[in-house]
Amino acid sequence: MTLPGVIIQLLCGMSTAMGIFLIAVGLSLIFGTLRILNLAHGVLYMLGAYLCYWITSVLLPNIGGSFWWSLLLGPITVAIFGGVVEVLLLRRIYNREHLDQYLLTFALVLIVSDLIKFAWGVDFHPVPIPPVLNGAFFFMGLPFPKYNIFLICCGIFTFIGLRYMIYSTKLGKIIRAMLHSRDMTSALGINVPFVFTVVFMLGCWLAGLGGALIVPTISASPGMDMNVLIESFVIVVIGGLGSLSGAFLGAIIYGLVNAFGILIAPRLAVAFIYIIMIVVLIIRPWGLMGEPEK
Amino acid sequence: MKNLFSGLTMKEVKLALIIAVTFFLVLPLFITEGWISLVIEILILSLAATGLNLMLGYAGMVSFGPAGFYAVGAYTTALVLMKTKLPFVLAFVSGPILTALLAVCIGWFCVRLTHVYFALLTLAFSQIIFTIIHGWYSFTKGDDGIVGVPIPDFLSSIYNFYYFNLIIIAGCTWFLWRIIKSPFGKTLQAIRENPQRALSVGINVHRYQLATFVLSGLFLGVAGTLFCTFSKNVFPNYAHWLKSTEMLVVCLLGGINVFWGPFVGSFIYQFLDNFISGYTLYWPLVLGTTIILLLLFLRGGIAGYVANRISLKQKTNKQVN
Amino acid sequence: MFRVTKLKKSFGGLAAVNKVDFTLKKGEISSIIGPNGAGKTTLFNLLTGHIRPDSGSIHFKDKEITFLSPNRVCRSGIGRSFQKTNIFPKLSVYDNVQVALLSHHKKTRNLIQESGTIFKEETEEILQTLGLLDQKDMMAGLLAHGDQRILEIGITLGTHPELILLDEPTAGMSPEESKETMQLIQSTVRSRNLTLLFIEHDMSVVFGISEIVRVMHLGSIIAEGTPQEIRSNDEVQRIYLAEESQ
Repeated sequence: MTLPGVIIQLLCGMSTAMGIFLIAVGLSLIFGTLRILNLAHGVLYMLGAYLCYWITSVLLPNIGGSFWWSLLLGPITVAIFGGVVEVLLLRRIYNREHLDQYLLTFALVLIVSDLIKFAWGVDFHPVPIPPVLNGAFFFMGLPFPKYNIFLICCGIFTFIGLRYMIYSTKLGKIIRAMLHSRDMTSALGINVPFVFTVVFMLGCWLAGLGGALIVPTISASPGMDMNVLIESFVIVVIGGLGSLSGAFLGAIIYGLVNAFGILIAPRLAVAFIYIIMIVVLIIRPWGLMGEPEK
Repeated sequence: MKNLFSGLTMKEVKLALIIAVTFFLVLPLFITEGWISLVIEILILSLAATGLNLMLGYAGMVSFGPAGFYAVGAYTTALVLMKTKLPFVLAFVSGPILTALLAVCIGWFCVRLTHVYFALLTLAFSQIIFTIIHGWYSFTKGDDGIVGVPIPDFLSSIYNFYYFNLIIIAGCTWFLWRIIKSPFGKTLQAIRENPQRALSVGINVHRYQLATFVLSGLFLGVAGTLFCTFSKNVFPNYAHWLKSTEMLVVCLLGGINVFWGPFVGSFIYQFLDNFISGYTLYWPLVLGTTIILLLLFLRGGIAGYVANRISLKQKTNKQVN
Repeated sequence: MFRVTKLKKSFGGLAAVNKVDFTLKKGEISSIIGPNGAGKTTLFNLLTGHIRPDSGSIHFKDKEITFLSPNRVCRSGIGRSFQKTNIFPKLSVYDNVQVALLSHHKKTRNLIQESGTIFKEETEEILQTLGLLDQKDMMAGLLAHGDQRILEIGITLGTHPELILLDEPTAGMSPEESKETMQLIQSTVRSRNLTLLFIEHDMSVVFGISEIVRVMHLGSIIAEGTPQEIRSNDEVQRIYLAEESQ
């Protein structure tokens, strides 16, 4: 393989990675703070994708920049939806067993995906790439879509933004404290339920943003959430449950393994990432960047 | 445990068993073939879920990947029948055996982890199984599945299959029942309750967890093999995590702390599936709402709720007497 | 019968247990006391295989058990209880003790036999000794705190130990309860001819029944002797006074 080919493959991997990073990081934050394995995360991503389609093609089809509006409004809607779910449902089962939580979020998967089917049917709904980002850059003579570069940038900026939030704001401090030990935070007199809601909404916002950003490359369609959810799980486990940098690293590993694995064994490429996950779980169950539980 | 959850005397259990067996024996005389096949599906799912529940409810090991073993059972039998000239009995037995062997290898890694990590590792392994089945086209026919597995004639009649299925499932269920009532079963419950303490009374916790993992895999394999024999087709989505979740839902719907919980769960799940799918396209919506209502208002699953009511009633009766 | 030699364990440079030596004679009742953070529980965890020591050795009945896993230590004849109540909360009181017996008699691999009546007499005998027989069908987690602590000793007895290590058996009990519990322990240990080593934070509990008292401070055993000797030991006095004034 030539050098430019490698670079293109690298970029491909990175753009997959950054798209899925947005979803995985929300999953990780929610697990780290709320201790809930949120199966509904994939479906929230799907909701973000459909909202993006709906805003660009139905609500605001004729104004310029409708895509940008959808990027703004879609994820916020998902976040509000998530907030309602957290307050009405999740809050009642925090002190239950893991399995009950698993089941509840699974029920949400069924409900939300059916509501989406009810609202938008089972057809594929493409979302056009905004004109500014249409077309391709050329790297040493090989084309690479501008939109995917945009995706990579979005992922990196989100990561930087989240890092800033976690390490430099008061909310971030509280979240970090919670990741570390839950008892301590409630002892410090922090309004835990409120923080839970905020973190859950933040996670949902990220999932919605991921959906809205990825949808122009794949079209909104039923079932788009299934693989994304599992892939996010894998990434979060590799990086470390609850770790921000872990999710970033995990996503990059995922993207690159996929991009280059396909060249080696196209049909079984998907298995490579699971093998990595198994190795990580056996050697370092708390993930590459996570901390062992005390 | 026995007072808390079964709440019935040995006599009552035996009576209930006799009624249940008679019911299933005469059932095909009164219902159409469509219903028979529904009952067959219910029973197979019950067996899978009860096998899973040995791990889930009794040993406290939450697995997210039972479907992987189910699929291995189904695919092994299908492939042996398709690719070799071996007699049916061998093909049928090879499914569960291979599943159990695989469970030894996978379980050896899994039991070293706890809680959520254990669950995620089982998920990862089952996804690998899925990927292999899905991707190894030349061997497993990938996405197309294996269609038209040559099943011997005597099982092609739905009545014959019904009784064949019933015998195997009754046998397996009886064995599972003995297991949970045995010293081994009690040991598992002790491990579930407090692994650290179990270790300190001299129990080699990992070894028992591995044994449970393998037993559970064995029964999931039997269920998979039965389903392959029944439908004569196998598809990669047998190993999909959605199938795993379906099994977990069935267990939880019925109640994981009761032996017959998964049976109840399977009945309700399959009935709802069949009925509601007939009326509306939005069966998942109904199922999801049902699950949430159950979770919020009927903790411990349906069978768990009933068992609690029975033991409560007995207590009040005792007090009155 | 039980000998600990130069046992050492540090966590991140801090020696939690530092070159501890002692021996126990058969049938002896002895205790280790010391202020919080002296390393008592860490020492127990080392003795029962829950933590691996950095150096030193542990011998029991002339066999080395230093690096055995907790379940093997138990099999060799050492039973222990924990500082935090450590029972099987959702099993019945009866099952709690029975599981220990099943484990001891290597019956736990039996997949077929009905478990309810195996070792029934022995289980009930242990519960009788401890005064828990009336509550045998109760879910263990619903017992009163004091009874849960006693049940934990019952689980320990179920493993047929020759040596039992009890980690603050009376933690969280009222003074009267503590006294009764210690008497119960003493009579049980005597009648079964066991060796007992227990940890206690509260000195008053210890002196009543111990033949030998060891005082642990900052990871080392600083004094060893009869209760009278320990009571009059200046250094011990100083440590305990210092702690009380904090």
